[in-house]
Amino acid sequence: MGGPEIIAEIKNKIPDFVPLAVLQNYPDEINIKVSPQVFKDTCLALHKILFSAVAALFALDERKERGCFEINSIFVDFKNSRWITVSMDIPQENPGFDSLAKSMYSASLFEREIWEMFGIQPKGHPDLRGLRLHNEVWAKENYPLRKDFRKMQSGNLSDYKFSRVEGDGIFEVPVGPVHAGIIGPGHFRFSVAGEPIINLELRLGFAHRGVEKLFEDKLYYDAVGLSECVCGDSSFAHSLAFTHAIEKISGTSIPMQAVYLRGVFLELERMYNHVNGIGGIATDVGFSFPAAYASIIKEAILQLNARLTGNRYLKKVNTIGGVLADIDETKKQVLLGSIKHLKRDFNELVKILYSSVSFMDRVDTTGVLRRKTAEDLGVVGLIGRASGIPADLRKYFSGIYKEAGFKMASQESGDVLARLRVRISEFQESCRLIEEFAARLNKVEKSRVEPELKAGSALGYAEGWRGPVLYWVKADPAGLIQRCKIVDPSFLNWQGLAYAVLGNIIPDFPLCNKSFDLSYAGNDL
Amino acid sequence: MEIIIIIAQLILFIVIAPLLSGLVSKLKNNIRMRKGQSIFQPYYNLIKLFSKEEVVSETASWIFKAAPFVVFSAMLTAATLIPVFIASPLHRMGDFLALIFIFALGRFFMALAALDTGSSFGGMGASREMFISSLVEPAFCLVVFSIFLQFGSTDISVFGAAHPVSVCSIVAAFALFMITLAETSRIPVDNQETHLELTMVHEAMALEYSGRSLALIELSAHIKQMILFFLIAQLVFPVNFCGFWILWYSARIMVIVIAVALVEVSVAKMRLFRVADFLGFAFVLAMIAVVCAVLGV
Repeated sequence: MGGPEIIAEIKNKIPDFVPLAVLQNYPDEINIKVSPQVFKDTCLALHKILFSAVAALFALDERKERGCFEINSIFVDFKNSRWITVSMDIPQENPGFDSLAKSMYSASLFEREIWEMFGIQPKGHPDLRGLRLHNEVWAKENYPLRKDFRKMQSGNLSDYKFSRVEGDGIFEVPVGPVHAGIIGPGHFRFSVAGEPIINLELRLGFAHRGVEKLFEDKLYYDAVGLSECVCGDSSFAHSLAFTHAIEKISGTSIPMQAVYLRGVFLELERMYNHVNGIGGIATDVGFSFPAAYASIIKEAILQLNARLTGNRYLKKVNTIGGVLADIDETKKQVLLGSIKHLKRDFNELVKILYSSVSFMDRVDTTGVLRRKTAEDLGVVGLIGRASGIPADLRKYFSGIYKEAGFKMASQESGDVLARLRVRISEFQESCRLIEEFAARLNKVEKSRVEPELKAGSALGYAEGWRGPVLYWVKADPAGLIQRCKIVDPSFLNWQGLAYAVLGNIIPDFPLCNKSFDLSYAGNDL
Repeated sequence: MEIIIIIAQLILFIVIAPLLSGLVSKLKNNIRMRKGQSIFQPYYNLIKLFSKEEVVSETASWIFKAAPFVVFSAMLTAATLIPVFIASPLHRMGDFLALIFIFALGRFFMALAALDTGSSFGGMGASREMFISSLVEPAFCLVVFSIFLQFGSTDISVFGAAHPVSVCSIVAAFALFMITLAETSRIPVDNQETHLELTMVHEAMALEYSGRSLALIELSAHIKQMILFFLIAQLVFPVNFCGFWILWYSARIMVIVIAVALVEVSVAKMRLFRVADFLGFAFVLAMIAVVCAVLGV
């Protein structure tokens, strides 16, 4: 099912297309194995057929097992609720492949990552500067995600070259990585003509911890805790995506009780982050009353989290095979009562914001990200929906959301106001969803089953509050993780920010930045 | 005798000025349903800064070190022009117009010092401050003219005596209130509380300062604010400087403190270039005040 028909479509684009193998290990994943010669064309064909930017593009070091590197490229097919992976093996001597970046921009960052972490060269890539390993301190030709990497060998160090804008009255303003507020580390290099921004170049990677390497050779269970720490404000979404991958590999089917509970927690995480983001937007325009109000609502949600699960940030809640924190009848009443209060308070907050002329003036038409730009960059999640890209994993991939009549938020204008509106309608929708899920919670059913250990690889995913969180995991029969590729929505969306601020004035940058509200940790891994 | 009064007035300004900032901040926090810091926090900050070592950039010239003293002495000079205990103690030295240009002197040196270290934030702050002050000064001048027309003199001591509140004074006071928001770097023009270096105006100019120099700059800002509050108070709640005035003096300043706090929590900061509209409005109000003065209402 599904498999041959997508092959036929590719054949329409490439007449002599012959895949080496077509596998369908899970109902929502198709794996097309191709030879390196047709890899690029196959990816571009899928890009056109599915209207999908590349969702993930990553390498595996299989030299010990099979004497080659493997490259996987994942596309999402919303229409049929499935993921399509194109993979190829490339020889281990002098590894390289034809770069996709020039034909499909969204592959660009992933290719830089492959080059930096594995030393596999994307041939013809226009920009191979480091992303996360800064060559001022990290010697070249040290490829940490190769299996034989142990520790950094000394070698050539070099400086980073920023792209320069030259001309009369153009100034460069470097900001960060140390900032005045308590935010993550990132370097922003503005080229400005007076106040308007001509160019913004981001340099990230300061929070690189080698997370993907840390996953390697870890047991399933130990790794759940690690996935919660990848990006602190999305710890539940990350652990959900990770456990999803493991559950697919081990063939564990989750009790419905756990599925609903996960829905509740995922939405709670979305709610506290969205209200935090709304408060942040108000803070950044100096509108302190609603900002203070939003922080009160956020605190109420965090306290609710703590009462339901014992953890304010929903850590140590999720586990493989289900959830550890069950919601019984008393907790359910606490939950429903809190949601009622939160709804009322939130509507009050929204009223204050919408009725303030000075506030609306600041957010309207500020930091516009056009739909075409967003699509080309592969922008995902909340930011994409604000720019008119109708993509939400909850709508297309999840049974319980379909059952609850999930309505996806959508805006067209792509400015700060649109991103604010998406947050507001998602918060309200989350309240409704939690009520729906809570009504379906079942007193008798267990919230967790024991999984078996199996070898295999699978893609786990969850729609966190920023957007889709992807975990591609490969495990060996002993339950040790061989490779874990993480894609946080921030990774693709940072590029969107660099385009959204163009033409805006410098003092509006913090506002644009806050409306994107991206993660440094999730990007830097 | 006069010298004692001048010294007393200077001490009064130095001692009381930080309290006003503390009060505004406390009020703002209470409105936002927060406990807020103590009203004496600005004093603690000053004491802390005065006892701290100073870090000066290697590229800074003498201007950077001199600027805080220039700014501070400018504000002290301005303070002596204000009628508090008696009609303007140094009124022979300068009039209302002098006040505007004494402020400008301080600002000029702050901007120079901000450029001196070569940091990008200092430059941005200085350019924005100059942009805003170019809009503030014409409006301020017009306010002064309206007072001049009303009292027949730009001498502040005339204005210091009790006088009937006219339409002209009230309109001028509104214009002066808007100017005060801009001059004291408050919302909607600037934001004192922000940590976002890219949006700062006045704070960006002071970013490179530390220790005693920063303390002087902060104290100067407090004194400037107190001077402006006094002027507004004298316009709308005029009082003769003899008699039982301490309570009345404090009460009318409190009214202005409350007004500033309310404005600051109830609107968002404007886009930088929209400040021109805001101060343009202040200019128009000041113009109306002049017209009222000419008409004698």
